[in-house]
Amino acid sequence: MTVLVALVVLLPLLGGLAISTGTRARGPGAAAIAGGTGSFASALVLAARVLAAGHFEALDGFLYVDPLGAFFTVVVSLVVLLASFSSAAYLRSEEASGELTGLQVRLYFVFFSLFASGMLAVFLTGNLGLLWVLVEGSTLASVVLVGLEAEARSLEAAWKYVIISSFGVTIALVATLFLFYAGSHLHSTSGQRLTWIYLFAHARSLAPTSVKLAFLLAVVGYGTKVGLVPMHSWLPDAHSEAPSPVSAMLSAGLLTTGMYAIIRFRSIAVLTLGSSYEETVLLFFGFLTAFIGVMFLVVGGNYKRLFAYSSIEHMGIVAIALGFGGMLGVYGALLQLLTHAIGKSVLFLSSGHVVLGYRTREASEVRGLLSALPLGGGAVLLASLAVAGSPPFGVFLSELTIVRAGFARDDPALPGLLLLLLVIGFASLLATTLAMVTGSQPTQGIRPPYPTRSSRFLAAVPLLGGLGALALLGLWIPGGLNELIVRSVRVAS
Amino acid sequence: MLLTLSAVLMLLAAFACLGSKLFNRYVAYYGFQSVTLSFATGVVAAHFGSGELWALAALTLALKGVAIPLATRRLLLQRLELRRDVALSTGLSTTLIIGALLTAFAFLVIQPRDLPAGAVTSSAVPLSTAMVLLGGLVMVVRRHTVAQLIGWLITENGVFLGAITLVSTFPFIVEAGVFLDLVAAVLIMVVFVSGITRRLAEATATELRELRG
Repeated sequence: MTVLVALVVLLPLLGGLAISTGTRARGPGAAAIAGGTGSFASALVLAARVLAAGHFEALDGFLYVDPLGAFFTVVVSLVVLLASFSSAAYLRSEEASGELTGLQVRLYFVFFSLFASGMLAVFLTGNLGLLWVLVEGSTLASVVLVGLEAEARSLEAAWKYVIISSFGVTIALVATLFLFYAGSHLHSTSGQRLTWIYLFAHARSLAPTSVKLAFLLAVVGYGTKVGLVPMHSWLPDAHSEAPSPVSAMLSAGLLTTGMYAIIRFRSIAVLTLGSSYEETVLLFFGFLTAFIGVMFLVVGGNYKRLFAYSSIEHMGIVAIALGFGGMLGVYGALLQLLTHAIGKSVLFLSSGHVVLGYRTREASEVRGLLSALPLGGGAVLLASLAVAGSPPFGVFLSELTIVRAGFARDDPALPGLLLLLLVIGFASLLATTLAMVTGSQPTQGIRPPYPTRSSRFLAAVPLLGGLGALALLGLWIPGGLNELIVRSVRVAS
Repeated sequence: MLLTLSAVLMLLAAFACLGSKLFNRYVAYYGFQSVTLSFATGVVAAHFGSGELWALAALTLALKGVAIPLATRRLLLQRLELRRDVALSTGLSTTLIIGALLTAFAFLVIQPRDLPAGAVTSSAVPLSTAMVLLGGLVMVVRRHTVAQLIGWLITENGVFLGAITLVSTFPFIVEAGVFLDLVAAVLIMVVFVSGITRRLAEATATELRELRG
């Protein structure tokens, strides 16, 4: 098991190590794809082993895998895999057009691999202090990627990102301290007191006031990472200025990682305090977030910002689902995280085609996408349908589950409001992307996004694979995955 | 007693930072605050006789007290020739009054007698909370990136003061990891600050050229 964990975390580093072989993007790109594939395969094996064995612990709880951690590992390693295919193609195209220098390409692969392996390690540790260190570490790696192009706008976005999220994560450190403090009257060795195993086992005898504070601070602190309103202001800037594969990793990976930390804190708070407190906090932040996300979807403008606001909306929906709680609510939340991760990866990766082809990020300047770039345009259309929650895709199923979880409670007003927000979000996202894919294309200025045949192939793989997986998840959830989610729900509530 | 004294000194340094307009003063006050924090850590270490805490005190002194202030001064202030910070969003006196209110608020919400007897000196906890809030205030009212960086570092110091007083038995590996992140964050921020400042300088220079004649 230890070997598997090491493989999951260390394989994505291959892309970073491969920069020593040469300065071109080709070698590191191939290595990143190989690493991503290996990491995803190891994550699947790890999940199967965890399902068979329950959970696994080593090194004093620094290494700990349970079904919940295994589920998130599978989700994020899939995102890393999709993004590394696209990175290879994107960087080769940027290198060929002279947009990025050799140094920038090398920096990209080093920090991309650090970002990926940092996020994956978050799910495989049982120590919440180490979890904090890894979340902050992977954030710092992603900051470099956001500011990589070193234009005034991307530097500004990166600065906003690093300063706001560092402050937020400092709040999460205070939350960690309070949770540690909550158990200080219990007798045990100090190394154990920061592990999930210990905290779950003693959750009922922790000091309630400290746990209350810890949970609230964790929602605010890790919520900065997730993009909960009002801590979301870095998110649209960073997502729109980052290279598209990085936007996908931020939206589908980092946001998911932050939500994982909140889910862990929540499950301890539920055991210590009962469910009414966390319900109030999560429903408040969830509805505020979903509302603001949807409102900015209506405004439109820069399409990458638009997709970022859609991520904010989705994270709000996940928080609402956790607030609804119960078997159905948490199941819906986890399924939503999975389907959103795949859908948003495809959407941001296909936006990479548009950025490279049209050289603009304004939605109003992009017309006739389907005829100009059939693959990218088709993927934008299908992925935005999927993300908005249209039936054949998985997001529809998870949103349906969440709404059902809401109606299972005695108050129909909240799920009713959620339905209304979902409908407005659907209409406004689709209004923008439909206008982008249809119409007549501008007569000049469009160039082929990927110059060579092999990079076109690499760029197509994640789009087709992701869309296929999403369509599959909408129709049928494989037995093993269902089992993994059900067991995760049991860990998380 | 010594611990409370150092906490008060640290809070004063935070206020001094809030009230100052000179870049090199920010760095000096931050350095002083960090040295005091390292002293406080030493006091707690002596109280518990804990080797890990002594190591933590040494780390604090070396990184926060010496390395970070030195790096900020060399890489930012001297190279970019920064002197006076004029980018304030509120007046200086208003800022100080808000700072005083925040400190009062910290004392109001965190009553030392509510904390269990486990803490070494529980009166340092509202002080550290006040420091977290003041650091946030510095980040809000100052528009310059260097000042925002210092504000975040003050917040970080406040959290560490709270950590050593409340939970002095925090695992050392985790603390070391936190330090690692801190250093990486400061390095990355320094690179971005110089990048942004250089961009801005270039932008103004081109404007000047275009307007001439």
